[in-house]
Amino acid sequence: SPVCTAEGSCLCKRQKPRGLKTWPRNGGTLALRTAADTDWRTDIVGQEGPPLPAIQLRSSLGLHGCSGQAGEIAIGPGFTAAAGGTCRRPCRWLFVITSGLFVAIALPAGGCIDSPVPDWHRLMTLSWTCLARRTPHLRDCKRMSRSLFCKLTTVPSGENLQEFSCVRPKTYVQEPEYRTHLVQCLHEEQKPFVDPKSVELANVISSLQDMGFDQAHINSLLNVQPCVHPQQLLDIISEFLLLGLHPEPLFMVLKKSPQLLKLSPVQMKKRSSYLRKLGLGEGKLKRVLHGCPEVFTMRQRDIDGIVKVLKERCMFTAQQITELLHRCPGVLQADPSELEYKFQYAYFRMGLKHLDIVKNDFLQYSITKIKQRHMYLERLGRYQTPDKKGQTQIPNPLLKDILRVSEAEFLARTARSSAEEFEVFKKLLDREEEESESHASEEEEEDEEEEDEE
Amino acid sequence: MAAPVVRSVRKLLKLVDFTSVPRRHRYKKKWATTEPGFPATRLALQNFDMTYSVQFGDLWPSIRVSLLSEQKYGALVNNFAACDNVSAKLEQLSAKDFVNEAISRQEPEPESGLAPTPSPDCSPNLRCFTFSRGDVSRFPPARPGSLGLLDYYLMDAASLLPVLALGLQPGDTVLDLCAAPGGKTLALLQTGCCRNLAANDLSTSRTGRLQKVLHSYVPQDIRDGNQVRVTSWDGRKWGELEGDTYDRVLVDVPCTTDRHSLHEEENNIFQRSRKKERQMLPMLQAQLLAAGLLATKPGGHVVYSTCSLSHLQNEYVVQGAIELLANQYSIQVQVEDLSHFRKLFMDTFCFFPSCQVGELVIPNLMANFGPMYFCKMHRLP
Repeated sequence: SPVCTAEGSCLCKRQKPRGLKTWPRNGGTLALRTAADTDWRTDIVGQEGPPLPAIQLRSSLGLHGCSGQAGEIAIGPGFTAAAGGTCRRPCRWLFVITSGLFVAIALPAGGCIDSPVPDWHRLMTLSWTCLARRTPHLRDCKRMSRSLFCKLTTVPSGENLQEFSCVRPKTYVQEPEYRTHLVQCLHEEQKPFVDPKSVELANVISSLQDMGFDQAHINSLLNVQPCVHPQQLLDIISEFLLLGLHPEPLFMVLKKSPQLLKLSPVQMKKRSSYLRKLGLGEGKLKRVLHGCPEVFTMRQRDIDGIVKVLKERCMFTAQQITELLHRCPGVLQADPSELEYKFQYAYFRMGLKHLDIVKNDFLQYSITKIKQRHMYLERLGRYQTPDKKGQTQIPNPLLKDILRVSEAEFLARTARSSAEEFEVFKKLLDREEEESESHASEEEEEDEEEEDEE
Repeated sequence: MAAPVVRSVRKLLKLVDFTSVPRRHRYKKKWATTEPGFPATRLALQNFDMTYSVQFGDLWPSIRVSLLSEQKYGALVNNFAACDNVSAKLEQLSAKDFVNEAISRQEPEPESGLAPTPSPDCSPNLRCFTFSRGDVSRFPPARPGSLGLLDYYLMDAASLLPVLALGLQPGDTVLDLCAAPGGKTLALLQTGCCRNLAANDLSTSRTGRLQKVLHSYVPQDIRDGNQVRVTSWDGRKWGELEGDTYDRVLVDVPCTTDRHSLHEEENNIFQRSRKKERQMLPMLQAQLLAAGLLATKPGGHVVYSTCSLSHLQNEYVVQGAIELLANQYSIQVQVEDLSHFRKLFMDTFCFFPSCQVGELVIPNLMANFGPMYFCKMHRLP
């Protein structure tokens, strides 16, 4: 494999010759110090989110392949150094070189819990936009550059970054259009783009990078649904990010259910607002989406059907419904009458309350499993349906010890019975159920016949 | 709508001094428009939970779940049907003759050099097929063979054990004191050992059922001859009626029929109206056993059996009857040890390990037979 030949440290991913320290792995090669209060930093920090200040590089970096020209930028992995230089957090750095000065801005690494990506993305956009306004040659730069890590000069201490005090994030409205001029570096070689389509693609790619996706994921996303327009891809992804998802989990979801990328933005927005109304926006959506990707693609009518059953037939409160759907998103895909039957079994047959049903994710288990375990315990004498006053003669086992545990643990702790007996019981129960069903339908027929005779 | 009619009919009958209809026939499932509030089956279960949880401790839950689930049957081969292929047919279903398996297992060890331990005298010629442990298959209904008799009789396989334990020998005179509905009676006949069989049951309706069973399984010449006699007398009187008469006596007493009582509402002995009757059961059972013992020839054998788990109806009754005979009649009765017998069958059935006297088959999901209690006694000469 190729070996890096740069002098000093560099950010490329090639193997380093022995003796050279790579940055930022061992962290100690760079002395990063936060600049003293500058308008620049204050402005950026003024946004909501964790403080990831712009810093000045105090020591030089040996970077290969760069020419030191103004207008070049680079992105690579790194760490932040908070004030005092003690706490390091992983992030990605954007280096911007302008005449004689450079600025390094930390971007959150993909999946960084503290920072909501959309905000950062917008922040990044703003700063770049501002920089671009200030540095005309950057604005004009539409080429994809190679791996450009310039030999950065040190900044004389005391000099502040007044020139960049134009950044006033609050003044700018965060709209995706501002992303278009962002220029990115890639580690791999890229052909110089000429046509607008590639430019658009490039822009999309750059936006995705800013959002926190790494390159492998981006390539994967672009290829998973080739018929989808990159811009649409971006719109949909942005929409998801706005709903509170992070890039990594979102990538997993999209990989699992690529049909989501085919959604129309209108449809997406409509469904998003509906989900928000149900209380499933922001932090809750990730889990719902993971458990039920179809929540965006399924018919409104079907979701309505489920919500209606939960609200009107089962009498769950709105809050309970939100929690229920958050915890067991698969419920959205259930058959409404089966769902109602399951609820009735819980409420009437087992004597459970609404709260128990919600807190123990009761509705996600199959009715077969529920019946098997409940009836086994009941016939063993270890579970009693509470009477009208809600009392039982024996203390019933906790619902979580009935359903949430593995079968082995259920048998050992809750049922205190053997696996072979349970197997036989399951077979017998299965037969009982079959026969009572056919008996019930026979009785129905008989009833009908009797009616006729009268 | 029908209930007032029944009541007035009963009033009429009382006027004419007919025997009033027993209370237990008051509730008729098909006439009643509503079910009783608290069903007798639930009362039965409550009763069992109270007594058996104490009596059986940690074993009770597994017995309970078995009682409440579908029981397992055995197919008693009808030797009279002369069907050659019935064994083959049953084996094809993957059922096995547990009697044959048990008996062939007691081959003497060749190396010991001693005479083989005398086999417990199991009644001969009994073949009964069951599915293996954990197999919940059902037998197809019996079919008539060339002689018009059904090829096998489906029964709880544990019910065969008292008959096996009785150890009939060819030429025995046999009394079945509480014979209905007839499964054990049929088994007694299958042995081919009965010179004379007297089958009795107090209830005429139940002896009717017994007759039907005999009709379907036993050839006419045996039924009509002197070999089998069916009567509907009070079993408690047998000591006076036919004292010291029989070689082998089977006393399969009326009991709380534990399994049946958990499922059948009709005529359930746990109905509140039958409480007194239920409480008097142990006394009735002891009287019947005593009568059976009195009807045995000196040197003869008696097997007492019930299909209940209760101490009070099992060991208690055996001990009471033996005591009664010793004190009132100066007749010595010895309980026979059946542990060897139990070992023969413990692969097929689940036995309770701690009976003071006799053996108890307890239901278990792997072998959902029973409950069946049986105790063998020897009337000393």
